[in-house]
Amino acid sequence: MKRFIHHDELARDSRFVRQDNAQSTVLATLPDDVDTIVNAFEQFSDMIEESVRGTAAEALFESYGPGFALTILNEPLDPDAPAGLTRLLLRMHGILVGEIQALEGAARSLWDFPDAPWEFKMNMARQTWDEGRHVQIFEKLLSHLGGSIGMFPESTFLFECACSKDPAMRVAGVNRALEGLACDVFRDMIKYAEKTGDEKMQQAIDYVLADELTHVRFGSEWVREFTKGDSEYRDRVREYRRTVDKQFSFGGARSDREDAAIPIAWEERLEAGFTEEELKDLAELSGSGPSKKTLTQAADILRERHLAKRAAQKEAQKGEARS
Amino acid sequence: MSEQRMYPGMSPDERTTFAPYSAFDIPADLRELSGRYDVEAMALRCRNFRYAEEWLMMMLGGWVATIPELPVKTGLGKVIWETAQAADMLGNRLPELRCGKKAIEASKSANDAFAAFIQSISEPERPDLTIEKLAGPFDVLMPHLVEVYEQTIRETDQICDAPTIEILEDIIRKRRRHIVWGQEVLDRLCDTDELRERRKARVALLDAELTATGGVTGTLAEDRTALN
Repeated sequence: MKRFIHHDELARDSRFVRQDNAQSTVLATLPDDVDTIVNAFEQFSDMIEESVRGTAAEALFESYGPGFALTILNEPLDPDAPAGLTRLLLRMHGILVGEIQALEGAARSLWDFPDAPWEFKMNMARQTWDEGRHVQIFEKLLSHLGGSIGMFPESTFLFECACSKDPAMRVAGVNRALEGLACDVFRDMIKYAEKTGDEKMQQAIDYVLADELTHVRFGSEWVREFTKGDSEYRDRVREYRRTVDKQFSFGGARSDREDAAIPIAWEERLEAGFTEEELKDLAELSGSGPSKKTLTQAADILRERHLAKRAAQKEAQKGEARS
Repeated sequence: MSEQRMYPGMSPDERTTFAPYSAFDIPADLRELSGRYDVEAMALRCRNFRYAEEWLMMMLGGWVATIPELPVKTGLGKVIWETAQAADMLGNRLPELRCGKKAIEASKSANDAFAAFIQSISEPERPDLTIEKLAGPFDVLMPHLVEVYEQTIRETDQICDAPTIEILEDIIRKRRRHIVWGQEVLDRLCDTDELRERRKARVALLDAELTATGGVTGTLAEDRTALN
């Protein structure tokens, strides 16, 4: 078995639908400019349409056009909002596939780094079991909400971005950036479950959040250990983590901004070993994407153009039928 | 204070005291102080066992990403963690067997052939090879380890080497569960004659290779002779 695999090699059963990572890349690098955002999404429109075909996201594409992700990512979850349940299911499905990739990332660390210290392997083995349980938990929660595996496409962006060939960067990307993001998302989901009175979801995710703190701690300790005595290497690892953090801030949707859909979970992150300085840096880094106003304007334009295009297609079809 | 109890006797000097519930109420320990392995031999065996457990854990970890069946991915998580714990316990026994504090990470293959056998098990890579991936650990390596661990438990000194026995018993208890799970998965995956044949062929190939290596301790033939 070779060391290090490409994200395209992640194996899935027939229920899963794979999405090209280009859309996630675009979302991660959006500037604060309406025209640029609109152009970027129009450029990928066919690809996005193709990736959602036959999934529950097809209806969202038809209603909002190629920029549906802008609307979904940038609005906090609200049970009373239009398409509230679909958006909740989309997020739950996203978490599920994220947990699968976290499972694969932790497990691959056991094979990819055979010469790593034994304690590192023990930590990764434990994380592998935890992530496996998380996949089982979110599969059950998805079903509890009426969803199912494969109802939305899966992007392997998480594995692509975080699974570096360098062990310190791997744990910085997976355990600090992505498990840190998980802390933010799960704290938000717990609040949602409390709001809707869903005790099953609230309790299950609270346990998962507790595990994530442990995984972030693994990351903090191993980054320190791997980079001990080499400040230049430590800086490179830090920059790598910052890049992943930026990519997974979804243009400010996860940030400390007042309009953020997913706020940074300061309390949990501090408990997990992030420093105040690191969190301030994350707040600045993640909040530097396009404003909510820009995204809303871009989403409205994309929606209008999409609906106009559909109306034109309908007319053309009618004309063809008549002739 | 209660009155002292006395043995019955014909004269006062024959009547001695005794403590109720004393040692002679407990059955005698009939175990002999003997075992097939001395401290050095057992330390070597633990290093050999640890090598197998560590590589088993690592190869299962490598496969999680390339196995498409979701319940297999998630099920392997627990097997990986318990296998890591097994390697850890064996490593922690090494300093207790006079190998030095640093020995806890010491794994040692019995010979080059066994190391090559481990690499053979870990060869399958493609996502359509779940049967070949699982047959190696669950049909061949794990049952072999259980067999050798049980033999070691029987043959080592029951009193002097009791801590090793405790560790191996704990590993066997969990390992039996792993084997049941893995073989059930394989039974379900192999639902046609062709697939069953694939599993059989893989097992036959690896079994032959394992026998040629002499197993995890490199002494399989001698061990089986000694047993007979």
